[in-house]
Amino acid sequence: MWSIIREAFDKTLLVAKAYGILHITNSYLCTVALAYGPSMIPAINLTGDLILAERISPRIRKVGVGDIVVVRSPVVPSRVVTKRVVGMEGDRVTYLPDPHNSDEVRSIVVPRGHVWIQGDNIYNSKDSRDFGPVPYALVEAKLLWRVWPPKDFGPMQHIAR
Amino acid sequence: MSFQPALQAPAATPISQPLARAPHPLRPIMKLLSYIKQWKSAARETIARASIAAQFLSLIHITDAYICSTTLVQGPSMLPTLNYSGDVVLIEHLSHRLGKLEPGDIVVVRSPVDPKKIVAKRIVGMEGDRVTYLTEPSYSESSRTVLVPKGHVWIQGDNVYASADSRYFGAVPYGLIQGRAFLRIGI
Repeated sequence: MWSIIREAFDKTLLVAKAYGILHITNSYLCTVALAYGPSMIPAINLTGDLILAERISPRIRKVGVGDIVVVRSPVVPSRVVTKRVVGMEGDRVTYLPDPHNSDEVRSIVVPRGHVWIQGDNIYNSKDSRDFGPVPYALVEAKLLWRVWPPKDFGPMQHIAR
Repeated sequence: MSFQPALQAPAATPISQPLARAPHPLRPIMKLLSYIKQWKSAARETIARASIAAQFLSLIHITDAYICSTTLVQGPSMLPTLNYSGDVVLIEHLSHRLGKLEPGDIVVVRSPVDPKKIVAKRIVGMEGDRVTYLTEPSYSESSRTVLVPKGHVWIQGDNVYASADSRYFGAVPYGLIQGRAFLRIGI
C-alpha cells in the first residue's frame, strides 16, 4: 500500500514541477494570448487569433509606438486588453474621440509614466480615448507572432505612426 | 676485425619501409569523445544538482511572488505608522488577487508616474467611493471631494503633509497593486 502512496506522491511532484516550469515560462518569458473582438480589425480577426506574446520587452522598456501590447484593463482589473501603443510618455497624441458622430479632433500630451493605447478600429474600440492614458506598469506583454489561424501565421505588422 | 655490418640494409626507400602514419583526420574529435566519456558521470551529477538548485530557486520565487515577501519601506509618507529610516514589512500577495482589499489596508503599489518605483500607501477609497481630502494641508484648509472611478483605488500616505499619493497623481488602477503589508518585522 505504501508503494502506491509513494508512487502517487512522486507523480504528483513531477506534475507540480512541470507546472512550475510552464508557469514561470508563461509569466516571464512568452505566453499565448487569445485576442478577439472588433477593436483591432484588421490587425487581429474578429473571431479570435492565438498570438505569441513575449513578456520581456515591457520589463526592459523596449515597448514603443506601433507595438501591439497586452495591457491589464484599468477599468476591469481582471481583464486584459490588446491594443496598439500610439504614444509614449511625453508624446503629443491627436485622436478622434467620437469618429461615428463628429470630426472633432483632440490633442493631449501623454503624462510621465503612461502610454496611450488605441485600437486599430477606432469606430469600435474602448481604449485610451475612453479611459485615458494607462500607466506603463500595466503593460504586460508585447504581441510577437500569430500562431492561429494557419492562414495568418506570421509576424504581427508593426506600424509606426 | 673491422666492423662489418651484419647485413647490408637497403637504403630506406618509400617502397620498402612503411611510411610514418598520416594523422587520422578525426583524431581530435575522437579525443574529445573519450574525454566526454570520462566526464559523463560527472556531467550527469552536475546536471542533477543544478536541476535541484533550479527547482529550489523556482519554489522560493513562487513563494516570494505569489504568497509572501519582504520589503524595506522607507520615507516620510507613512509616518507615524512606518518609520522614516526604514522598516522591514511582510507583504502578502493573495488578497489583491482575490479582491479582498478594503479601505484601511496598507498596500504596496507600482507608481503610476515611475514604473520602476514601488510605493507603500494606505487605501482610503475603493471604486465608487466618494473621497474627501485636503489638497494642501500645510498651507490651507481647502478640501476636495472626488468619486473614485471604476477599477481604481484612492491611496494616501498617513502623513498627508509629506506624501506624494493619489492627491498628486490621481486614482490608481487596481491592477497596479502588488500586495498588502500586514506585518512589520521589528526589533
